[in-house]
Amino acid sequence: MTYKTKRTLIAYAFLSPAIIYFIVYFFWPIAVEFWASFRDGQPLIGESTFIGFRNYARILSDQLAIKAIKATLIYAIGSVVFTLVIALGLSALLVGPVRAKNTIRAILFFPYIISFVISALMWRAILDPYTGLLNAALVSLGLPQQFWLVNPDTAIWTLVGVSVWKDIGYAVLIYIAAIQGIPAHLYEAARMDGARRHHLFRDITLPLLMPTTLFLAVVIMIGSLQEMALPYLLTQGGPANATRLYSLHVFETAFQGLDIGYASALSFAMFMLILFITWVQFKLLHRDIKHV
Amino acid sequence: MAHKDTHTTASKLVIYPLLAIFVILAVLPFLYMISLSLQSDADMFSGRVIVIPEVLQFSNYVTIWEKAPFARFMLNSAIIAGTITVLHVLFDPLIGYVFAKMDFPGRRFMFVALLATLMIPFFIRLIPLYVMTAEMGLLNTYPGLILPFAMSAFGIFLMRQFILPIPDDLVAAARLDGAGEFRIFIDIILPQLKPAIATLALLTFVFQFNEFIWPLVVVSTEKMRPITTGLTLFNQEFFTQWNLTAVGGMLLFLPCFILFVAMQRYFVQSVMLSGMK
Repeated sequence: MTYKTKRTLIAYAFLSPAIIYFIVYFFWPIAVEFWASFRDGQPLIGESTFIGFRNYARILSDQLAIKAIKATLIYAIGSVVFTLVIALGLSALLVGPVRAKNTIRAILFFPYIISFVISALMWRAILDPYTGLLNAALVSLGLPQQFWLVNPDTAIWTLVGVSVWKDIGYAVLIYIAAIQGIPAHLYEAARMDGARRHHLFRDITLPLLMPTTLFLAVVIMIGSLQEMALPYLLTQGGPANATRLYSLHVFETAFQGLDIGYASALSFAMFMLILFITWVQFKLLHRDIKHV
Repeated sequence: MAHKDTHTTASKLVIYPLLAIFVILAVLPFLYMISLSLQSDADMFSGRVIVIPEVLQFSNYVTIWEKAPFARFMLNSAIIAGTITVLHVLFDPLIGYVFAKMDFPGRRFMFVALLATLMIPFFIRLIPLYVMTAEMGLLNTYPGLILPFAMSAFGIFLMRQFILPIPDDLVAAARLDGAGEFRIFIDIILPQLKPAIATLALLTFVFQFNEFIWPLVVVSTEKMRPITTGLTLFNQEFFTQWNLTAVGGMLLFLPCFILFVAMQRYFVQSVMLSGMK
């Protein structure tokens, strides 16, 4: 046996637990899900028949699914836009001469690492229409109380608010790192040319942060598209299905409706969308990196 | 000059209150949880919102253990998150080493396949994973709760990132001296990896301690519940008792909080490493 063959064998011996694990717990489930998405009856657990793309076609006539897609789009786009705008503003402040900036950063980052269970429970306590902290504050200011999670019109936006609250620290962290990575000489040169502070931000910082913004937008978008714990814990998808996000719809189709073939098609459709978004991100980031 | 001074003073008057609002918003739910956890049942049903209770009812922290088997929930969480953490610490660094320092045919393909798993959302694997776990007879068992999280592409990737900067010459010299790959890993790589492994362990433990969806699906009896689903279902059964729910929240919150404060720097570093590539 040559030295090279021996090294290869050793490498694969070390990798073998990982190869087995990732095949069993990642690639095999995806393959099975793909197979089940073309079948009717009880794929995976019993008798089933091949029905081609009919499960996928069914998504378009499923009113609950359409409603879930709309809610998920509002949730995902709302989360991305608000998180990025607020985080960008905060990062711009926090790279300046501000006292205790590391402490502030750590505090802002804190909600990101705390479990959805605690976040959801405490926000439910705060947002309760009658006994909640928020409405008590509104009333004491002379403002009308709001039925945050109970009103179908405000529920989805309240969910967006909690999601923004949770992600803001992560975005701030990544933005600050990116801002600090911008070469100082660019600013010096612009200042020599007489540029004012807000011009520096608009003409140098903002354009150079494009790849970071894109990265954050994609990460938050993908995370929001698959969000399930937050609506499950805060509203159980209600009121009137206003916060029944897509993944929750899949979850209930599978585990309560036991409609496994259709649920598989629903989740595979989302998987395709997420792969597509990731692919677009790679393409765009590649171009950006080449230009810099 | 005078103009510049007034400018900074004025902007400070805007910047600090603005930052203060966001800082307060960030911690508000946790402060309110502490407040709720110390309120009496009378405070709860007074119909008023109480920010600072007049009498701090520390006995809530005792009562809670009688209302639901929280000791059992905590033990389950510790067993599940602890075992997963140990598995990650055993496997992720070794596999990270293979990708960072060994050359073999198929390396690129394997690495891309590994990273691809990061793009597979959990809820897409949920149905087949559930059926698989059921077929293996592992529903409602510790192995059923642990196995789907035994390794992670994220952990392997993180370890590879920490191993890459270790000089190749060091590894090559050891190979020339006749040291086997496992020996090199144990004697040269591992000692330099201690802070990285601590980070990996911390991240893994905190994430697994907080896992909610998988136990919700797999566990059907009360005694197998971890603290996350234990607390949520407790809250549904005793939904008016926000004070006791908040105490339960503190039980879930405190271990992670202590770990976070102790290792804040590593935490931030690893999040950035994974975010920035």
